[in-house]
Amino acid sequence: MTRIRWIQIALAGAGVALGVLAYRVQIDNLPNTTSLRSVGSVAAAWSFLLAGLVAWARRAPNRLGPLMIATSFALLARQFRYSHDGLVFTVFFLVGELGWALFAHVTFAYPFGRVADRLERVFLWIAYVVAIAFPLAILLVYEGTERLRYVDPFPRDNLLLVFESARAVDLLQDAFGFVAYGVLGTVFVVLVLRKFLHASPRARRVYLPLLIAAVAAALWAVLNGILTFATTPPAIVYDLFWWQVLSLIALPLAMLWGLLRARLARVHVGELVVHLEETPVDGLRDEIALALEDPTLELGLWLPERREYVDAAGTALAVPDDDGDRAVTLLEHEGAPLAVLVHDPTLRDEPKLVEAVAAAARLALVNARLHAEVRAQLETVQESRARIVTAADEERRRIERDLHDGAQQRLVALALELRSAQRHIGENGDTEVQRLLSSTADELQVAVEELRELAQGIHPGILTQGGLAHALEALAARAPLQVSVDATAERFSPEVEATAYFVACEALTNTVKHADASKASIGARRENELLVIEVADDGRGGATQGGGSGLRGLTDRVEARGGRLVVESVPGSGTRVRGEIPCAS
Amino acid sequence: MRVVIAEDSVLLREGLARVLADGGFEVAGQAANADELMKIVRRFKPDVAIVDVRMPPTQTDEGARAAVEIRAEQPEVAVLLLSQVIEATHALALVSESAEGFGYLLKDRVLEIGDFLDAVRRVGRGGTAIDPEVISQLLGRKREEGPLDELTPREREVLELMAQGLSNRGICEKLFISPKTVETHVNSIFGKLGLMPTGDEHRRVLAVLAYLRA
Repeated sequence: MTRIRWIQIALAGAGVALGVLAYRVQIDNLPNTTSLRSVGSVAAAWSFLLAGLVAWARRAPNRLGPLMIATSFALLARQFRYSHDGLVFTVFFLVGELGWALFAHVTFAYPFGRVADRLERVFLWIAYVVAIAFPLAILLVYEGTERLRYVDPFPRDNLLLVFESARAVDLLQDAFGFVAYGVLGTVFVVLVLRKFLHASPRARRVYLPLLIAAVAAALWAVLNGILTFATTPPAIVYDLFWWQVLSLIALPLAMLWGLLRARLARVHVGELVVHLEETPVDGLRDEIALALEDPTLELGLWLPERREYVDAAGTALAVPDDDGDRAVTLLEHEGAPLAVLVHDPTLRDEPKLVEAVAAAARLALVNARLHAEVRAQLETVQESRARIVTAADEERRRIERDLHDGAQQRLVALALELRSAQRHIGENGDTEVQRLLSSTADELQVAVEELRELAQGIHPGILTQGGLAHALEALAARAPLQVSVDATAERFSPEVEATAYFVACEALTNTVKHADASKASIGARRENELLVIEVADDGRGGATQGGGSGLRGLTDRVEARGGRLVVESVPGSGTRVRGEIPCAS
Repeated sequence: MRVVIAEDSVLLREGLARVLADGGFEVAGQAANADELMKIVRRFKPDVAIVDVRMPPTQTDEGARAAVEIRAEQPEVAVLLLSQVIEATHALALVSESAEGFGYLLKDRVLEIGDFLDAVRRVGRGGTAIDPEVISQLLGRKREEGPLDELTPREREVLELMAQGLSNRGICEKLFISPKTVETHVNSIFGKLGLMPTGDEHRRVLAVLAYLRA
């Protein structure tokens, strides 16, 4: 057994012994008390002792347990001021009110064992000072024979008397009743309500029973404070005792329930394990939030490649600092980061619960991360697909440009020089040279034409030069069947124009090759943020998007631009290919 | 006749300048891009500006845009556009405003030096020069049967030359036929196509192009 365990056992023993003594002190010294009332006041103190010991044993680093035990001892000590022994009376009258300050301290220290709020700290300082100052002041002027409130009328020896004043004793007792019970009691209720209203949803659930007990106890104090001014206290004062005792018993029990519910919450863990079986990846966060009773929970999955946390949708999650507002729990798998839980700070006090939930969810989390990874990869692949298509388009344009503006220009210039030379030699020159120059220039001219055809095939120059509408007109003009064109004159980005042209070109090629059509139409128009390119024919129909048809490549090409391709092709009633290409400008 | 040349390939620009100078033109200035072109046009007030469609910086259609600007700013300056590629609709879109003093030729046409110099002269005198490729694209379009099918092969040839912007005299020289015969063909064509005969050779180009385009 540890040293702390021995201390706890010793304190338990001392508390029980003191309780028995306190009972005896009341029975022996208070003529109008009953054994039931005496038991009641001891029971109130013992409930703090019990709750304090349990809390201390179960949550070792939390100061709440020792604080509750201290409260218990203070409440028991209070009973000893009824003693008629001079020394015992003097000592315990002096410290008899400390129990109330400790009661407030315990309330504010719940559930973390420390009082973080500045206002609450100030309140506690005042409460401790008032709890010591007033009894001390009374003792300095109390000569022992006049009646003290809540105490029997028999005289006592006061070892601290300095200056006797019955009037001062009366005044101080009134002031104490008003300040300690009335004013401080009211402020206490306000502070507890404030604590509750500022709390997170999860913390509120933990605070609620405590709140009820604390407010009940404090309202008793406030009523007591008001009654200070009643000349003849009504009969109800006698029954108020039980209000006080019951609310005093209720507070530690409420705290104990709050602390133990972490254990109760583990029931949720069992449910979590069962639920996770059928939870989709998107629902994982909700299940964990439910198990931890924290609706504000955020779940981030660690992606090793991206070196960041992402949510179930694959979006990066900014992990906040672990501070008073949010708590951060990192989960690991096989020694590497797996996930992060960003949650309510009250959960920081229940590491075992969080651990249990994390353990239960680990497999699902690994699974979810795989999903998130795949989604992230899919995004990357889509982006790279668009980049590849763009690069290929750009390259075709570049080659076309190089052919036109480089080789072709040069050949034309060269041929022009030959033609020039030919003219300079004139009719009277060497006919053989004339013939050679002429045929070389002719050959060059043919080469230029071939080069132009080649460049056209790589990328239609008219698309760059005249835009989509003119390029589609040219396409229609070259087709071996009647093609009507209805195209917008608007210019789009080179990528969008190239994709649309490619769709029209491939679809028309399909029509010519397979459809056995007599007429076709090409339409190009803007529909909001989309460029819609449509090719329809009156052919035999029955084209499919899969298989080896050019439609597959077309679909790929359009999808790479983030668009979609729809093919309607009912056998016997023609084919309609519709490409929608995003063209937000 | 004063001409300026806008062409980004130095080799071709120099070649053109020489051919034009040999042909009796005064080459007043040369430009390598659209901005320079606008400057020399304003400065030299040439009769004809010979302009490459694709020029730096974007190599798309700055020449065509400069042509529109010149025609708006100085209608008395004729423009002859040279293009790497020819597409009928695009050409017609450019000519639609006014065919007078405007030409649009495939770049290779400069190699037929005689025809090319004729075209420059014709444009410089307020005439028209439309590339034969444009006309054959228009004629080659798949269309319902109509009056065009009633033309004799010779009349078709005459129609094509007319649409290119050639005058009657030009057509005579090209087809080696007498002015009288050309006139007969032209009247017959106009009759068959249901067009109003017009004495003005410049204007009839637009009428014929409009007919072909419809």
